[in-house]
Amino acid sequence: MHIPDGFINPATAALMFAVTIAFLAWSWKKVKATYPSSFVALLAISSAFIFAAQMINFPIVYGTSGHLVGGTFLAVLLGPYAAMLSMTIVLLMQALFFADGGLLALGANVFNMAIIGGLSFFLIKLLRRNSNSNKRFASSVFIASWFSVMLGALACALQIGFSETFANAGGIMVTVPAMLFWHAIIGLGEAAITTTLLTSLQRLQPTIMGGLALLKTRVKQ
Amino acid sequence: MKKYFAAIALILVFLAIFTPFASSSPDGLEKVAETFGIDEHEPVWKGIMPDYSVEAVANPYASTLLAGVSGTLLVLFAAFILGTAITSKKPTASSDKQ
Repeated sequence: MHIPDGFINPATAALMFAVTIAFLAWSWKKVKATYPSSFVALLAISSAFIFAAQMINFPIVYGTSGHLVGGTFLAVLLGPYAAMLSMTIVLLMQALFFADGGLLALGANVFNMAIIGGLSFFLIKLLRRNSNSNKRFASSVFIASWFSVMLGALACALQIGFSETFANAGGIMVTVPAMLFWHAIIGLGEAAITTTLLTSLQRLQPTIMGGLALLKTRVKQ
Repeated sequence: MKKYFAAIALILVFLAIFTPFASSSPDGLEKVAETFGIDEHEPVWKGIMPDYSVEAVANPYASTLLAGVSGTLLVLFAAFILGTAITSKKPTASSDKQ
């Protein structure tokens, strides 16, 4: 879902940078206020893992592929705020060193994957309804990770749909259904992998899951 | 400390095993662009390892793996720096201002 340069208009790119920077400033503040320094290793390792996982595209149907985005995974592991920062690092490195996602499109890409991914935490919180059942946790993660991909794809479809590049093709009237079609399928892969990873981690290493702890306690703001 | 290195080693092993199986088909967005006949322009900035490959290495597996390992370590390092900066207890620039 990484948008290359040339797929979105400069105005869209600028707007997405502004929105993204606002969200990142918010998460920066939250992390600074609440996270201990013992958390740094987990942040570094899970960011590195997501970079590696994003390299492994899995085939879906009709000669198309997808890969784990990992926003929901990070959100449960690190909490929503650190997840946004973590994914931003991954996307920044991909754009800088690997030309995966354009530099001008970076704001849009961070919004579609890092911000929406981090925010999927609150969807899980909503779906879990303070239940302690493992089944409910798994199904909440499954649904939230699927939605995080769909919402990211929708945002991406709107961003590219309003560009001159896609104007002749039909703009958002065609980009939205096309993006949602493919990502409905890719999202199932995302949901299956995220749910498997998080339920295994919950069984093996529940104590490291800072996001999980946040889910279970009612956080005082 | 040991378990952190074990986790990093595990990620690198994961890359080494799965890289050859990664699909090279277009992803969702690339497929959509292709459907509507939109070509990706040559990027303004090509990065240092475009398309997750190291030009100097001829073997495609080694080339992708080298790019993957470099990227993983780069992200690890960058996230570590960010984490250290953000969770630091030392007085920061903002408190210096007063």
